[in-house]
Amino acid sequence: MKRDERAVLFEREVLSPDACLLHFRSESLFRSFLPGQFTMVRLPETSGLLLRRPYSFCDVRAEHSSFSLLVKEVGEGTRALARLAIGTSVDCLGPLGSSFRPPPNDRTPLIVAGGVGIAPFLAFCRMLARRGQRAIVLLGGRTSADLYLRGEFLSLGMDVRSATEDGSFGHEGLVTDVLAEVLNGKTSFELYSCGPTPMLVRVARMARERGLPHQVSLERRMGCGMGCCLGCVVFVHSTNEYVRCCTEGPVYDADEVAWERDPYPL
Amino acid sequence: MSFEPDLRVEIAGIRFPTPLIAASGTFGYGTEYLDVADYRAIGGIVVKGLYMEPREGCAPPRIWETPSGMLNAIGLQEIGVERFVSDKMPRLRELGVNILVNICGSTIEEYGDLARILDDVEGVCGIELNISCPNVHEGGILFGCDPDMAARVTERVRQNTRLPVIPKLTPIVTDITDIARKVEAAGADALSLINTIPAMAIDVETRKPRLANVVGGLSGPAIRPIAIRLVYQAAQAVDVPIIGIGGISGHEDALEFFLAGASAVQIGTMSFVDPSVWRKTLDGLEDYCRRHRVDRLSALKGSLVADVKAVPTGW
Repeated sequence: MKRDERAVLFEREVLSPDACLLHFRSESLFRSFLPGQFTMVRLPETSGLLLRRPYSFCDVRAEHSSFSLLVKEVGEGTRALARLAIGTSVDCLGPLGSSFRPPPNDRTPLIVAGGVGIAPFLAFCRMLARRGQRAIVLLGGRTSADLYLRGEFLSLGMDVRSATEDGSFGHEGLVTDVLAEVLNGKTSFELYSCGPTPMLVRVARMARERGLPHQVSLERRMGCGMGCCLGCVVFVHSTNEYVRCCTEGPVYDADEVAWERDPYPL
Repeated sequence: MSFEPDLRVEIAGIRFPTPLIAASGTFGYGTEYLDVADYRAIGGIVVKGLYMEPREGCAPPRIWETPSGMLNAIGLQEIGVERFVSDKMPRLRELGVNILVNICGSTIEEYGDLARILDDVEGVCGIELNISCPNVHEGGILFGCDPDMAARVTERVRQNTRLPVIPKLTPIVTDITDIARKVEAAGADALSLINTIPAMAIDVETRKPRLANVVGGLSGPAIRPIAIRLVYQAAQAVDVPIIGIGGISGHEDALEFFLAGASAVQIGTMSFVDPSVWRKTLDGLEDYCRRHRVDRLSALKGSLVADVKAVPTGW
């Protein structure tokens, strides 16, 4: 069930000069969400901003009755949220949207994340770890500072590999180069991706060429998050129409997405 | 004995249990907010603009935030009247809330045909005429900008239905009183105003428009003073009731509309931001009426004190 719940910011973990992990305490939102789902956060009135902003649930810390959001400062809304004072409360509407389906036991989860696109996968990997599944996690970024939460994935026992465009950490180049290497092995994979659109398109093409299932999490501007404003639509092949990212998404089968009609990245 | 104000309103024969109505295009097909909004505070729902056939809508990006406002170019993505009646109406009827249907046509005939179809649909209690959407290339605002065309659409719909007919007017007119009078004369039972205001935003880094459609419709608190002025002027010109729309986020905003001459209000953008806006606004109105000993909301209509200089108060 969706709720609109007051959540209090109690900790800010700085991850890079322009990204942080915000930990919120709340009564029930942290318990009910599925990995891949998101919340619409109401920004403080002092920000002068009107609309809520969507953020993937990143993680849960049950011992603190808390959930975490990964926020990278890319605009006014993200800046206002990232710079919230500790102790500030915000309204969070959620949990919203579709979630990642874990793979069958005979398939290895293979996650490809670009920058802040890693956000929904920490909770997902925690779920996989509980199921005894070990994912391969490919992290990509421009520099090493963009490889968020790498330590957390390692501590969950995931097989983490990295790529940076400037070569400051891991493979020098694109994360999809690393993906190509991994896919050249014979293992049966189920792919998961989130990040910049050009990366998602490349991952989708590689998965399709090999006949691998691929779930993708898309980011869109959303007005309501509840399926009413139709501001966040994604064109899909099966019904040949725009569907709502907040309701039918944000997690889609990548083959469903009509990438050629996709105008993003934002 | 405690003073209990009566917040029910009757417009064009439709009895609304509260004066707060969900604006078209902002409340989906009625059920989306069931988990988080208090439907007992909602007097009616205007469902999304409906054409005869399904429509794809505009390409994304479709929305952008502007100062105190929201810019949208959705372009009336919708499912067509046939699917609306078969798939959506059964569930809408169960809500126990007044259902009004916002209709849009590419031609005057299409408006008339839609009205005839809806006339027989159980549970539909009124028709709002969308002659003011800025994001469609035919019909919509093109009809609403021309008072004579708006009157012809109204007249055609009036001939084809027994349901109350409520044209929704655009602010983009030289004289709101002219169009208000003409649609009233053509058979309108009430007026909704205003629709969004055509507007635009540009990303200066890429030098591209923020919306794929280039221009969109501006809604939210930014447009409220404009809407208040238009409701005020239209209310002087016509006898039919007016439903005020534009950036209402609480009871004080709603009261401005009532004092300007509206009989009810629609809430749109702010229900995205705060699903509790319905209950908070209704409670606020009740409290106001108690404090001011207003026994029924209709007593506020036209009670604007306009014959003295405005008194400066805290701001």
